[in-house]
Amino acid sequence: MGTAWQRRFPHWRGDIATVLLVLLVLFPFFYLIQMSFRPKEDIFGGSITFVPTLEHYEALWQGNFPFSFVNSVITAGSATLFAMVIGVPAAYALSRASFRGARRIGLWILVTRMAPPIAFTIPLFIAYRFLGLHDSRTGLVIVYLTFSLALVIWMMKPFFDAVPRQLEEAAAIDGCGTWMTFLTITLPLTAPGLAATAVICFIQSWNDFFFALILTRTQASTAPVAIVGFIQYVGWEWGRMAAAGTLVMMPVVLFSILVRRYLVRGLAAGSIKG
Amino acid sequence: MTAALSGQSSWTDRRGRELVWGLAPALAVLAALTVVPAIYLVVTSLTPLNLAVPNSEWDFSQPLGNYVGMFEDPRFVHSLGVQVKLSVASVLLQLLIGLGVALLLHQNTTVRQLARSWVLVPMVLPPIVVGITWLALFTVDISPIHRFLAWIGLPVGPLLTNPATALWAIVLAGTWQHFPFAMLMALAALQMVPEGPVEAARIDGASRWQVFWHVRLPFIMPTLVVAGLFILIDSVKAFPLIFIMTDGGPGDVTEVTNFYVYRQAFTFSLWGYGSAIAVLIMAGVFVLSYVIDRITTRNDGQWS
Repeated sequence: MGTAWQRRFPHWRGDIATVLLVLLVLFPFFYLIQMSFRPKEDIFGGSITFVPTLEHYEALWQGNFPFSFVNSVITAGSATLFAMVIGVPAAYALSRASFRGARRIGLWILVTRMAPPIAFTIPLFIAYRFLGLHDSRTGLVIVYLTFSLALVIWMMKPFFDAVPRQLEEAAAIDGCGTWMTFLTITLPLTAPGLAATAVICFIQSWNDFFFALILTRTQASTAPVAIVGFIQYVGWEWGRMAAAGTLVMMPVVLFSILVRRYLVRGLAAGSIKG
Repeated sequence: MTAALSGQSSWTDRRGRELVWGLAPALAVLAALTVVPAIYLVVTSLTPLNLAVPNSEWDFSQPLGNYVGMFEDPRFVHSLGVQVKLSVASVLLQLLIGLGVALLLHQNTTVRQLARSWVLVPMVLPPIVVGITWLALFTVDISPIHRFLAWIGLPVGPLLTNPATALWAIVLAGTWQHFPFAMLMALAALQMVPEGPVEAARIDGASRWQVFWHVRLPFIMPTLVVAGLFILIDSVKAFPLIFIMTDGGPGDVTEVTNFYVYRQAFTFSLWGYGSAIAVLIMAGVFVLSYVIDRITTRNDGQWS
């Protein structure tokens, strides 16, 4: 029996170490989720078993949290939409044309991805005060374009590079214009790339904390900022914080599973050249 | 023949012109959102702008005042020291742990292929959620880690309010969140190590450690250097974890340079001074990005 088991798992020592490692890595993640279901009286309790409760989620539902959550959905969704509409054609153009400055544009985009948010926040905060964009969802969407547009261009270019040009040349000979060819031939072929790019773009805006903290107050505050509000104004409501945290991270975790094949390229932020 | 060629080139020209129209809107938006603010940031850094002081916006009487002043500001110099500690510790820890995990997951077994996806979870989580999770884990009353340590007879006091440990607690939480990135890079590089030299070394009787040290490690070194530079850039931008877990404290022991700029600009309204420090951070990030670009271009094709 031992040998059959060993034949099935020839590297069982490493496999067991792997399972332990995964449990260790995911421990904080599951810890937060279980805390969100733990009854208020039992938050400090050390017992492993408890009767799960939805009281913290109900408390959230009755407060301002749903409003912030909707703000998050709208701002991250709009930023993704605009970044895709503007960024996808740009990525295609960079992939197809041999512009002299293409390399320099690539470096510029890398710097934009890497630039510290504080460098954009100071000028935009001052500008927003004059433009009346402070604490507005529009203002937040505009800020999110600073990184999401660069991300879309960076992620989509390799997908276009992979589409053979011969297909487009054939269409061009049939009299199709450059952008008509793009829409009818090239774009459908990169559908998985488009989906992955949009999802990663959404995650990045959704996860933002810094911009929303500074550029919003009450009207446009997003879910991550609302969580901080629990610490500052409500006091140490661990259960409610855990419930809010669970709600904020769930879409991200689910989306990541959907696009895990492409996740590497998006999160590596250009470190891995396509 | 000639006609065909010129027809070909005019098609290329026309196509080139049309493609420009796809690129132009994106470049215009990027310029408006990144170049214009960057220029404004540099201009502001030459003034003592303080929104509470009228006419400070266009006061260029002492253009380099902020830049000279910062090195006489002990709190700024202190923040640089904190930054160096945080950055060095983050880069070393994340690279070591990332490489270690990559070596474990490099082997192709079913369990390990599944694990490659699972260990990525911390990396995609919203930083704010990572912050509250570790805040809870570092809170003695409720943390199972503290309870466990007390149970095995090694009770540990609150780490985040202790000036000696607060920064390292933040490094620990940050490492948990970001090590998958180093792991991914190392894993991608490990899978590209050619089997030939590895086999040859094994036949010559090299131990597993010798194969790693003399064959695999030199091969993946360029990737690790690039990963280290990325971690370095990320550590310069550290903010959410510090904001939530310590708010720069206790005192100023976890106040990194980025956090200090935030304080100067958004707490004390010293926009001009804050901008000057932000310009320095920008310049540093620019240099690092340039180095990354150089290295990756030189080794193009080594990573896919």
